Amino acid sequence: MSVAVVSVGLGQFGKRTEGLIDLAAEAAGRALEGIGRKPVDLLVAGTMLDHGPYGAEAFLPGLASRLGLESASGIRVDGTSATGAMAFYAAVLALESGRFDRALVVAAEKMTDRPTTVVTRELAASLHPSEVACGATMPALAALVSQRYLARYDVPSSVIDAVSVHARTMGARNPNAQFQRPVTAAEVQASRPVALPLRLLHCSAMSDGGSALVLERGTGPATVLGIGQGFDALRLVDRFDLTSFTATRLAAQRAYESAHLTRKEIEVVEVHDAFAPFALIHLEDLGLCGPGEASEWFEKGWVLPNGRVPVNPSGGLIGRGHPIAASSLAGIGEVALQLRGEAGDRSIARRPRIGLAQAVGGIASQNFVTILGRGSP
Amino acid sequence: MTDTGETLELARCGSCQARFLPNEGSCPRCASTAIERYTVSGLGKVVAATELEFPAEGWRSPHVLALIELPDAVRLLAIVEGGVPAVGSVVSVRRDGQLYRAHAEPDGPVADERGEGESPRTG
Repeated sequence: MSVAVVSVGLGQFGKRTEGLIDLAAEAAGRALEGIGRKPVDLLVAGTMLDHGPYGAEAFLPGLASRLGLESASGIRVDGTSATGAMAFYAAVLALESGRFDRALVVAAEKMTDRPTTVVTRELAASLHPSEVACGATMPALAALVSQRYLARYDVPSSVIDAVSVHARTMGARNPNAQFQRPVTAAEVQASRPVALPLRLLHCSAMSDGGSALVLERGTGPATVLGIGQGFDALRLVDRFDLTSFTATRLAAQRAYESAHLTRKEIEVVEVHDAFAPFALIHLEDLGLCGPGEASEWFEKGWVLPNGRVPVNPSGGLIGRGHPIAASSLAGIGEVALQLRGEAGDRSIARRPRIGLAQAVGGIASQNFVTILGRGSP
Repeated sequence: MTDTGETLELARCGSCQARFLPNEGSCPRCASTAIERYTVSGLGKVVAATELEFPAEGWRSPHVLALIELPDAVRLLAIVEGGVPAVGSVVSVRRDGQLYRAHAEPDGPVADERGEGESPRTG
């Protein structure tokens, strides 16, 4: 049974004054508007950060009430930074089962209402406790992985600067992105260190915002052709390879197999560039190029809207801002917009038939790959 | 390598022979709970190291973390004392309650940090 994305509602990302449910409802309202407010019988929603006693627990029924969906059924998911992709996955399974006809998928995050140290601690909940006990943070572990990748493949720092420049250039074309100003490589290199080799402009920023999609049984320009999830060892030191994410490789293999497609048929990609060097690792793990070969994609402009396979035309996490749960649903939403010809000024040069969105949960311990395209799987 | 007297306890899976850093008690590769402990020298090689410019709550600058490779290609994450160590340099690691601490081993050899692949940790 086929399932297709029929409407995309992307909220404004950035520092917002509204609360979590307001942000979720903003995106949901846009997605529901796109289908003329037809009835929805399933709501799948997710958020990650702690919102105090009852605050997070009431997220699902609170959102259902706000949207007037009391007659629908609902599921709440938490997949850390892959929450949006996990919510999408759950909705696809539910529709494929035949039990529901139309699902609203929503993911939202409110981050800027608390100090950075508190956000850092809450995000570290997605890491292994023994590594957090050493004072490890997400950027610290990302820095160690990045350093290993750059050393192993002899990648100069100018390449990861170029990844950030690309993200901010694309983001400046996306009215929903947090950052509307492009940056130069010199600005990236001059930004303050976070955990070297990562500098501030190599890292996605804390942000508020929501994303929403409506899915229906049936086919269309953005049919779900394939979807896959993969795990990896939660403890970083137990991983066989530090320069590739097994969770992406497993998810990609399952997604390509279920879609009966190969990477050669992918025409647009959204990857989870929480940290600039990860964009390189992701392109390799998705099979778009071999290990250590992704630098060339940024050096030669193959990632541009008129390039070989446009990458992150939305600006990705670095350009859009990273409201944790919402980002991975925004990535799927961007692919759907490009496929549906609804991306406006940021449409890639040739309207794609097949696109892929990849999502990372935690330090790549639970990743997702979603392939959308015309027709049926 | 010189022996500083520091030793570390590692774990070996009695079922698949994988070697790993002691954990909650099951093999990260095959989930067997037949785990044996063994002891190695506390000398290891720095695989990657970074200083956190924004240390987590409760930690003070400078806070340096390193991934360190021990014998049998077992890796651990350690807090490094005395600055950011060079990749490939040799450090001495000791256990401190729930965590590991490392410091530079001034006379240790410096290995080539590239060239070698990501190695499996099997027996």
